[in-house]
Order: sequence, then C-alpha cells, then structure tokens
Amino acid sequence: MKIALMLAILILCGALGDVSLAKGMKQVGALPTLRLGALLVFGSKMARNGAVLLGLLSLIAGFLTFLVLLSWVDLSFIVPATSLHFVLATCGAKWMLQEHISCVRWCGTVLVGLGVALLALP
Amino acid sequence: MKTAVVLLLALLAEAGGNVCLSQGMREMSAASQPGSPAIVALLLWGLANPTVWLGMGLLGVFFGLYAVALSWADLSVVLPATALGYVLNVACGAYVLHEAVTPARWAGSLLIGLGVCCVSWSERRPALTGRTR
Repeated sequence: MKIALMLAILILCGALGDVSLAKGMKQVGALPTLRLGALLVFGSKMARNGAVLLGLLSLIAGFLTFLVLLSWVDLSFIVPATSLHFVLATCGAKWMLQEHISCVRWCGTVLVGLGVALLALP
Repeated sequence: MKTAVVLLLALLAEAGGNVCLSQGMREMSAASQPGSPAIVALLLWGLANPTVWLGMGLLGVFFGLYAVALSWADLSVVLPATALGYVLNVACGAYVLHEAVTPARWAGSLLIGLGVCCVSWSERRPALTGRTR
C-alpha cells in the first residue's frame, strides 16, 4: 500500500514538473548558443521564471519520493512504473500547453500504459 | 540534430544517475537496522552516501540537458524521447545491478518502447509537412 501511495506521489510530481518546466522554458525562450555568457544569461532567466521554479520544486519532490522508493523496491520496477507520468504529462501538454495530440499519439500512450501494467505483474 | 544529441546525453546521465542512486540506497538499506525506518531518517542516511551524491549530480546534469531540450522543442517531442530511458534503466537494472527482471517486465519495457515509437512517429508527421526543428 505504501509503495502504491509513493508511486502515485512520484507520478503526479513528475507530470506536474514536466508540464510546468515545459511551460517555463517556452517563456524563457530557446538557448541561442552554448557559449558561457549565453548559458549564464539563460540560467538567470530560468531562475527568475515562476513556472520553471514550480517545475523544479515538483521534480525535487518527486526525486525525494524516488529515493525512498529505491530503498524499498527494485530500480527495474520503479522506473518503468513511473512511466505512467508520461500519460498524465501528455494530458497536461494537451490541456495546459495546447499541444496537438493525434490519434496515433494516444495509441502510443495506451501502449505505454499496457507496458506499465505488465511491469506490475509478479 | 542538436536536440537529439542533447537528449542522448541526458538519457545516459539519467540512467547512470539512477544506477548510482539505487546502489547507494541499497548500501544504506543493508547497513540500517532491521525493520522499516522512518522516511526522514532514510533520506538523511541516503544523503550521507557518496554514491547517492554522484547519482544526484548525474541527475542534475540530466535536468540541465532536459531543460535546454525543452527550450528547443515541444514537451510532446522531448518527453517520448526521454521515455526510452525506461528501457535503458531496466537493462541497467538487469546487467549492472544484477536485479531479477522477469519476462513480463521485459515485455512491458518492449511495449513502452513501442508506445514511445508511436508517439514519436505521430509527432514527426507535422514536422515532415512543414514544421522545422
């Protein structure tokens, strides 16, 4: 039960983190070059963006949950199981970021969900 | 192309980070008292382990590369690509950490990979008809 609860927290934090980070990075804009000066400016913009910070906090919370889970169950179970956050993040990309999600993409998402169900088998 | 290179580096950093974290947390579990320790104590134990710090450093690298990739491409393009890391992690669990990976888990990883391919393919179609990345 505790493993299922922690997995749910991990998945929710991951999805929220991905969507918020993506939203924030779109606001920050594309990294123009890999020069040190540009990287510093880019990092500064990221650090001042609310959506990036929310995404970062969510991912850190998910990371701490992940650490606890690692001490309880195998890595080869946890990491694939967290791919459910992929489904949630896809929904977030559609409804919060207004990205176009085609039928083929939804099929792919269902395949990922089935894969996760298989991973839960003993 | 640059997005693909950055994502590949991100995947490698993530897989390496996860393996280090798993190893570190196991060392901690083996050294701890029998029974189920409190979550906070568990985290403090983990944060005192150098292998865990190496894992966190690699995951920090992953985060930076992931953020850069998100500044260049949509979440719907970047996320499926990073999902391929799940398969890499199962393989690392099996061959590096010698975890028991059942046929069902391998089949699940395969389905995840297929799903990711579908999603990636669906996202490439608009790119082929005019959208450039």
